[in-house]
Amino acid sequence: MQPHLKRAIFLLGVVIVGFIFIRSLVVPDSYGQYGAYRGDSVYENRNFTVEYAGSQSCGDENCHKTLYSIWADSRHKTVNCETCHGPSEKHVSNVRIMPSPANDSREFCGKCHYKMVARPSSFPQIDPESHGENLKCAYCHNPHKPWFV
Amino acid sequence: MNISRREFTKIGCRIVIGAAAGATIVESIISNSIAAEPSSTGDYDWNEHYWGYVIDTRKCIGCGRCANACKLENDVPFDEPVYRTWVERYRVLKEGEVKIDSPNGSIDGFTDDIPAEELKKAFYVPKICNHCDNPPCVQVCPVGATYATNDGVVLVDYDYCIGCRYCIQGCPYGARYFNKEKGTADKCTWCYHRITKGLLPACVQACPVGARVFGDLKDPASDVNKLLDKERINVLKPDLGTKPKVYYVGLDREVR
Repeated sequence: MQPHLKRAIFLLGVVIVGFIFIRSLVVPDSYGQYGAYRGDSVYENRNFTVEYAGSQSCGDENCHKTLYSIWADSRHKTVNCETCHGPSEKHVSNVRIMPSPANDSREFCGKCHYKMVARPSSFPQIDPESHGENLKCAYCHNPHKPWFV
Repeated sequence: MNISRREFTKIGCRIVIGAAAGATIVESIISNSIAAEPSSTGDYDWNEHYWGYVIDTRKCIGCGRCANACKLENDVPFDEPVYRTWVERYRVLKEGEVKIDSPNGSIDGFTDDIPAEELKKAFYVPKICNHCDNPPCVQVCPVGATYATNDGVVLVDYDYCIGCRYCIQGCPYGARYFNKEKGTADKCTWCYHRITKGLLPACVQACPVGARVFGDLKDPASDVNKLLDKERINVLKPDLGTKPKVYYVGLDREVR
């Protein structure tokens, strides 16, 4: 083999080896584990903290059992606890951490129950001007069991 | 042994490069053989699930609790107009014009600024990432920082994203946004940290009227499959061929 060819082949070898070496440093270990992405990223996405515990955890373990059974039998049973009371996973894991009290303003109930054109007409809605004399809704309606005072 | 300085450097370089290359080649062979094994991600086997989402627009009351819960669950900046899910209001005026709005993603609710007499029809449409089977956002990412998992969820690798915003441009549904706090693109994950623990996504749990339904498409008895078998289903922009996995019940022709 001619010396200039030898040199060229040697140089090519160095380039290939250099590429493999640098690639191994730059590409993360879990890349390509499941596809053309970093496999560890799946676990990172799974490990974010949960904020909403779910209504089941409110009724379980004799904490809010009575209130839970009243709610579970009411027309508001499709509305989960944390929809009004806010995320409470921290409270479930440590009862000393109290969630902020539920918003009992007319405006908050009105987010669902004020009359709106775009709402399905079968959904219970009120006209805030003519209904309730500006009293808080809970004055007459039990939010855990509407029409049960 | 007599050896010139040039010879010594030559041999030395070859040995060093050869050793490094040999080690990396062996290492890559080993790591490839590990990856080739069938893998389940912990106690949750993602090959047993394929998630789907059904939105019943006829039930939505536009209260915005979904968008609010999403921001609280996923640390989406509250003071910026970015949303992983939001509710749009469509109002078709009697003269034919269509008005679409979503003030603060519906979190603060809507106000009736057009009297009912001037409207032909009005309705709410919740929007969310469609987790397409053929996702354009994944195709355009130059660094492989967004991908579809085996259980059909499109996720972002927040460590690897360089924040070039191509995916935000590429999404035909406007479902992606730029998270200034993270400096990366961000999107709905169907609350991947919740669904892999057996919980429902925060928006589904927060919906007071059951307009949002989430479940496993591989399970014939799941809530989504019950609806898909019974109702008349449509998806958003089917002509684009993105194959969305968010199915809509009662979708109007005006909805884009």
